Amino acid sequence: MTGRAMPGPAMPGPAMPGPAVPGPAIIELVLRDRREVLARIARGADLPHILRTMIATIAITMAIVGAALGSYRGGAQIAYAAIKLPIVLVGTAALSAPALWATGAALGRRARLTADLALVTTALAFGALLLAACTPLILLGRAIDLPYHDMILLVVGMFAVAGIAALHVVVRGAALGQASATSATFAASGWRTAVASLCVVFSLVGGQLAWALRPYLVRPRTAEPPFVRELDGSLYDAIAGTVQSAQGIYTRDGAPL
Amino acid sequence: MPLPAPAPFPVPRGVAAALAAAGPLAIGGILAARLGDPGPVLGAPAIVFGVVAATSPALYIASAATGHAPPLPAVVRAFGVALGAFGLALAGLLLPAAFLAMSSQSRAATLASTSAAIAAAGLFGLRRLARELADHAPPAEASGAGGVGVLASRVVFAVWAVATVLIAGRLWLQLAAEVLA
Repeated sequence: MTGRAMPGPAMPGPAMPGPAVPGPAIIELVLRDRREVLARIARGADLPHILRTMIATIAITMAIVGAALGSYRGGAQIAYAAIKLPIVLVGTAALSAPALWATGAALGRRARLTADLALVTTALAFGALLLAACTPLILLGRAIDLPYHDMILLVVGMFAVAGIAALHVVVRGAALGQASATSATFAASGWRTAVASLCVVFSLVGGQLAWALRPYLVRPRTAEPPFVRELDGSLYDAIAGTVQSAQGIYTRDGAPL
Repeated sequence: MPLPAPAPFPVPRGVAAALAAAGPLAIGGILAARLGDPGPVLGAPAIVFGVVAATSPALYIASAATGHAPPLPAVVRAFGVALGAFGLALAGLLLPAAFLAMSSQSRAATLASTSAAIAAAGLFGLRRLARELADHAPPAEASGAGGVGVLASRVVFAVWAVATVLIAGRLWLQLAAEVLA
């Protein structure tokens, strides 16, 4: 990666916030012109409004995705997953975004907590919108009785695409903020390290929070789906256990439904 | 074109220094709470500040000997800024580390998350120290050290940083092993 700033719209600096854009129009911009949204965040324009809109977008879209996932089992699981998925994404953002601010500030990057929160939530909202666009695929899988493990793979693939797209938005936004900082009186450095730190923290925290609040997709034959499974170790313990299972070393009698 | 000077902290330096003191206490507190041993509460800050106090004079002496080193007040200030950067970074990593530790039943996961947080903050602090020292070092022509002096001072810093990280890491692992035992 080079030190070249991302090309983008002219940066008038933090003193020119620009006119406020209504919430639906911001969502439209996220879909059609993310560079403009990121430029507004870099300028510090209307950050609380952007933040509120993005959190609402995440909550609504992830509830839709959760309901679609829950429909594989049906019944109470639709509501359970619709409640839990937004909590996972918003909770992960709340736990991880301060890391972007703090590591960036430590390395000399111009750091504004609200702007960093807006950037992270915008990226997540974009990912959540992409996932919402994929819900027909989930419903199709349910309609054609796609086997459970194939369904899992389909969902993992969808989340992977959405995650990569969200990551791309964070990197572009941070680069744009860097360009803005260099043109202003502040100097900046370390944004790449800060973004890399955010990605690591986000993956670890998001993975563990999603693990703690599972299940989302349960087998149709499950009699009573739990709201959350009992805490029986971390995601990373489970990965270690799976590696052992793959080697034929089993520590329990059967898999939970 | 020379690189621009790093931006100042977005918090007062006193707050950054307080975070540098409170961060290791909090990391030690997480370990203590999860593992049921109060040792890390004081052990973590003792390692951070003890290792810095023990090794920082060596960096100044060796750098000065290369002929390409900032004056003593600038070195002291650079260490202050680096400790502040360490505290800020650790403050941002505390929440994720605490969540990962508290949501796991594994002692190894607790140890891994706290160790990763303090190690990452330490590396950020070292990076900021390198930047501060480079920004305040006299130009090679002015110091009379030439290119060899500049190279020597960089080698000195790299060796010092590796040694400091290894000493701190060794002490941290020793503390963790005692707690886990």
